[in-house]
Amino acid sequence: MKKILLVCAAGMSTSLLVNKMKAESEAIGEQVAIEAVAKETLGEHIDSANIVLIGPQIAYLEDDIKTEFADKNIPINVLNTVDYGMMNGKKILTEALTQI
Amino acid sequence: MDKFMASMNKKLIPIAKAFDTNRYLDAIKNGFFGVMPFLIIGSFLLIFGNLPIEGYPEFMQSIFGAGWDSIFNIPFEATMNIMTLFVIMGTAKSLAKHYKINELNASIAAVVAFIILTPFIFAGEESGIPTGAFGATGLFLGLISAIVSVEILRFIEGKNITIKMPPSVPANISSSFTSLIPSFFVILVFTIIRLLFEGSGFGTAQNFIYQILQAPLTNVGSSLPAMIIINLFASLLWAFGIHGTVIIGAIMDPIWLSLTAENATAFAAGANIPNIINTEFQSNFVQLGGAGCTLGLVICMVFVAKSKQYKTLGKLSIAPSIFNINEPVIFGTPIILNPLMLIPFVVSTLVALIITYFTMATGLVPLTNGVNLPWTTPPIISGFLLSGWRGATLQVITTLITTAIWYPFFRISDQRARQLEDAE
Repeated sequence: MKKILLVCAAGMSTSLLVNKMKAESEAIGEQVAIEAVAKETLGEHIDSANIVLIGPQIAYLEDDIKTEFADKNIPINVLNTVDYGMMNGKKILTEALTQI
Repeated sequence: MDKFMASMNKKLIPIAKAFDTNRYLDAIKNGFFGVMPFLIIGSFLLIFGNLPIEGYPEFMQSIFGAGWDSIFNIPFEATMNIMTLFVIMGTAKSLAKHYKINELNASIAAVVAFIILTPFIFAGEESGIPTGAFGATGLFLGLISAIVSVEILRFIEGKNITIKMPPSVPANISSSFTSLIPSFFVILVFTIIRLLFEGSGFGTAQNFIYQILQAPLTNVGSSLPAMIIINLFASLLWAFGIHGTVIIGAIMDPIWLSLTAENATAFAAGANIPNIINTEFQSNFVQLGGAGCTLGLVICMVFVAKSKQYKTLGKLSIAPSIFNINEPVIFGTPIILNPLMLIPFVVSTLVALIITYFTMATGLVPLTNGVNLPWTTPPIISGFLLSGWRGATLQVITTLITTAIWYPFFRISDQRARQLEDAE
C-alpha cells in the first residue's frame, strides 16, 4: 500500500491533518496509509514511505531532511502554509497522490 | 517589504537550524524526551499527597495511618527527585546513536562518569550515594558528564586503539573487549577530574558546576527581562513561520525544568516554593492556547467571524487550541508574514507574561507547585493542578484580556476576508 508520511515538530498538529486526509482518502476510495511523526523519529518511519510532507513550521529543516534521505529517492516537499493552516486535506492528498 | 522579509528569513533559518540541529542540544532534548513520562507521573502523584483542602491530611491519616502519603512520595523520590540520573542515560544514548557507537556502553559509561564525580556519604557503617546529587542541582554536571564521556568513547574508538579479536571469536565476546579501552579512558579521565576537585576549593565537581554555570544560568533564565527577550525572539521566529517554541526550548528546557524540579522538591517537603518562572509558567500560563495566546484569536473566530474563511478556521482550530496546539491558526489566519496580526501575537504574549509574573510575585496567585504537566494540558485544568483555583482564574482572566487584544485586529482581517469573498 502507498504510504504518505507527514513530519512536524511533535507530530501533533500534522496528526490533525492526517485525520482530514484519511477522511478524504476514504471518500475517494483510495487505499493509502497516512501517518504523522515527530522530526526526531522520521528515520524510523521513512523506509516504507512513498512521499514525505514537511510541516511549514519546520521548513528550515527541508535541506537537511532532503540531504539525509536522498538515497530513498522519494519526493520530499514542504506543505503550503495556507493549505496546512486551513487543514485542506483534500488538496494536500490529491497533490501527494499525483506524485507517487 | 517582500525583499526585507526574504532577507530576514535567510538570516533566521541558520539560527533556527543551529539551535535545533546542534548535536549536543539535540541529544539533551532526546534525553529529556525519554525521561518525560516518568517525570510527569512522579510529580503528578505529589498533588495527591499535598491537596490544598482543609482537613485532608487528617482525613487521610485517620484512614491509612501516619505514613499515608508515602504512596505518593516514594514514586516522586524515585523519579523527578533524581531525574539527572535518567537524563544522563538518555542523553548519552542519544549522542551515541548520533555517532553510531555502542549505545548501552555509552549510557553506562556516562552514569559511571557522573558517579565518579559524586563523593559518597559515610555515616558510621552505612554509606550511600547522595540522592541530592541526582536532583535538579546536579543536572548541568550530569549533562556535561554525559557529553564528555561519549566524546571520550568516540575519540578513543576513532583512534582505533581498541582490542581487536580474531574473526573466530564470537561477536558478543569480542564486543565486550572492544568497549574495554574506551571505557577505561572515561573512568581514568573522570577519576582525575574528581581528584583535582578534591584538591581545589570547590570540594566537588557538583559544587563547581552548580556555582559557576548552573546557578548563574538559571538566575538569568528565571528573570523577567530574560523571559521578555526569549519570548520576543520566539515570536520573531514564529513571524517567519519557524517553530519558535521548539527553538527556544532547545536552549531553555533544561534550565526551566531544573527550576520546576526545585519547586517540586519544595512542594513535596511542604516548604516555600522558590521559583516563579519554570517550564509550566512558560507553557501553561504564558503560551496559553499556544504561542501568542492564540486561543483569544480562535475565540474571536468562533463567536464573531462573518467571513467563511474564519468561520471555518475557528471551527477547525478551537479543539486543538484548547490543547495548546495552534499551528492551524498560525498558518491558516495567517499570522506568519502578516504585520497586522503579528502585533496582537507579540502584545498578547508579553501581556500574559507580565500579568502572570506579577500576580505570582505579589502572592495573588500561588507559584506553580513543580508538577511537570504535559504542555498539552488544557487551560483551567492546568492552572488548577499547578496553582489551585487562583491559577485557573488567572488563566481565565488572561484569556479574556488576550481575546480583547486580538479582537480589533481580527475584525479588520475578517472584514478584508469578507470583501474578498464577496468579490469572488
